Amino acid sequence: MLTTSERIGISAVVPVTERFDDVEALYRAYKSGVAATGETFEFIYVLDGEFPEVHATLRALREQGEPIKIVGLAKWFGEATALTIGFEQAAGEVILTLPAYQQVRADEIPRLFEALEGCEMVVARRFPRRDSKLNVAQSKAFHFLLRSMGEVPFQDLGCGLRLFRRQVAEELNIYGDQHRFIPILARQQGFKVVEVDAAQAEDDVFRRVYSLGVYIRRMLDMLSVVFITKFTKKPLRFFGLIGSFVLLIGTLSTLYLVVDRLFFGVALADRPALVLAVLMIVLGFQMIAVGLIGELIIFTHAKDLKEYKVKRVVE
Amino acid sequence: MGTLDLSIIVPLFNEEENVQALYEAIREVAETLDRSYEIVFVDDGSKDATFALAAELASKDPNLRVIEFRKNYGQTPAMVAGIDHARGTILVTMDGDLQNDPADIPEFLAKIEEGYDIVAGWRRRRQDKALSRVLPSKVANWLIAKVTGVAIKDNGCSLKAYRAALIKRIPLYSEMHRFIPAMMSVAGARIAQIPVRHHPRRFGVSKYGISRVYKVLFDLLTIKTILVLATRPLFSFTGAAVLFGLSSALLFGYELMHPVFGQEGFSLMNLSIGMLLGALAIFLVSLGLLAQLVYRTGSLRIADLSVLTASLARDEARGGPKC
Repeated sequence: MLTTSERIGISAVVPVTERFDDVEALYRAYKSGVAATGETFEFIYVLDGEFPEVHATLRALREQGEPIKIVGLAKWFGEATALTIGFEQAAGEVILTLPAYQQVRADEIPRLFEALEGCEMVVARRFPRRDSKLNVAQSKAFHFLLRSMGEVPFQDLGCGLRLFRRQVAEELNIYGDQHRFIPILARQQGFKVVEVDAAQAEDDVFRRVYSLGVYIRRMLDMLSVVFITKFTKKPLRFFGLIGSFVLLIGTLSTLYLVVDRLFFGVALADRPALVLAVLMIVLGFQMIAVGLIGELIIFTHAKDLKEYKVKRVVE
Repeated sequence: MGTLDLSIIVPLFNEEENVQALYEAIREVAETLDRSYEIVFVDDGSKDATFALAAELASKDPNLRVIEFRKNYGQTPAMVAGIDHARGTILVTMDGDLQNDPADIPEFLAKIEEGYDIVAGWRRRRQDKALSRVLPSKVANWLIAKVTGVAIKDNGCSLKAYRAALIKRIPLYSEMHRFIPAMMSVAGARIAQIPVRHHPRRFGVSKYGISRVYKVLFDLLTIKTILVLATRPLFSFTGAAVLFGLSSALLFGYELMHPVFGQEGFSLMNLSIGMLLGALAIFLVSLGLLAQLVYRTGSLRIADLSVLTASLARDEARGGPKC
């Protein structure tokens, strides 16, 4: 089944990172789901770090004749990096990413595959949610924050089940922790992305509570994705807007303090507010200057970064 | 450079009412020019039938090419796509809303052949609302002229002609099309301006608003920095640094002179502010050095463009510009 001459319909990429369930059972479930689409397929497992037991299980499965490719990373690089490496190995016309743990019922795969007709990417949304209220609340808060920073019409970015055409994988540029934002980045590249409701797996229901560091990391990820999607070409609009706002407040407060000193005789030396005001002016200038450096980077590389994607040329 | 004499580039966004008339008007003019030409329509992700109509026309006319975008990217990317795909030696860009008149194109060609690198049109009698459209653009033009030192009467007019060799190398992204003349003039390009006809919109609605003042201001700051950096590298950021450094030195000097005046102790306030301003000065000098690093390692230097201008090309050829 892995001969190169044969056309492969679906490449399923499974990144194995911190969280994973019984590998063999999950593989069999996924396999029957993928096989039900009627397409030829292959599985690519990317081990993000050393997982000797998982590796042994997968090798045993492969020896039984299962269409599995195993790629191992020497250390932990993050799920998005693992996915990217999986995409490079994938030979299929359609790429399916699957979480290494129970999340969406595997028998939903054929339905999602059919939804790929007429668009470039299908992402699953676990609905109705049957897991704990805490998980739902966390997810709601995450998506609410993202939406408030920009238009993000997705409701379950944490879902690892995504189906997309080869071309999308070639144009996605993700690494580290950015896998959650695949649909947003694909949409920004001009691809049509559709969210489809899918039944949640029974085992995905336990409460997920993370350490504080994870939440902070998630917030930083959000910031970087908003920056990447909205301001890549115009860093000064991001830094400059914040910078000029801070600069304005600083200047106004300085003026106020100076007027107070000159006309009302309030001694400046007793007012630490002046230091704060000057500090804001300084910060404002710094942010604008950093934005200008960003602009300079874009300007000098503008010819390498194409801003548009051509669908077709008719002559 | 190009395999054709002329490319006419028109970005289109939701212009289904205009496509047919636009195509006919351009073709009519182009056929009288006695030059090999192509028309490049760039469909910027229109939601209406623009692409279907244009593709239909292209299937009958070998001189028409239509580029379809995956989604709406905006006017500058559409222009850039047209410029990237164009095969002509001279490129003409114009709006897709029939407000520009293709009948002006021959004059633009004549100017380019006279030895200019860029010919910018200016709309002598603008057929737009005075308050919401004409006034903001007058202010913007004045500002751009002041800051960049290149007085273009009408930066908003899309009808322009370029020598392909030069414009294909100019970095254009976001809304940088406004500053093409400024960038080109720093490269030493010769710029001509000619008045053009301007018709009121016949169909559809205008797609610009007044809400982009801050964007133009930031873009101006960017372009100014880049232009300064191209010629006087250290001046760009250090200019501001000198101001803050001096203020800092003055504050410190004043405090250190206290014993001379017989005063006791130091003012913590003055010293703190002096230190803050001093830190900013150092920060800006560091960024100035970083800016040079970026500029040197980047793939584009404005001086490189200079050798592509018509005056030099003409001297090389010794017999009229190579067009």
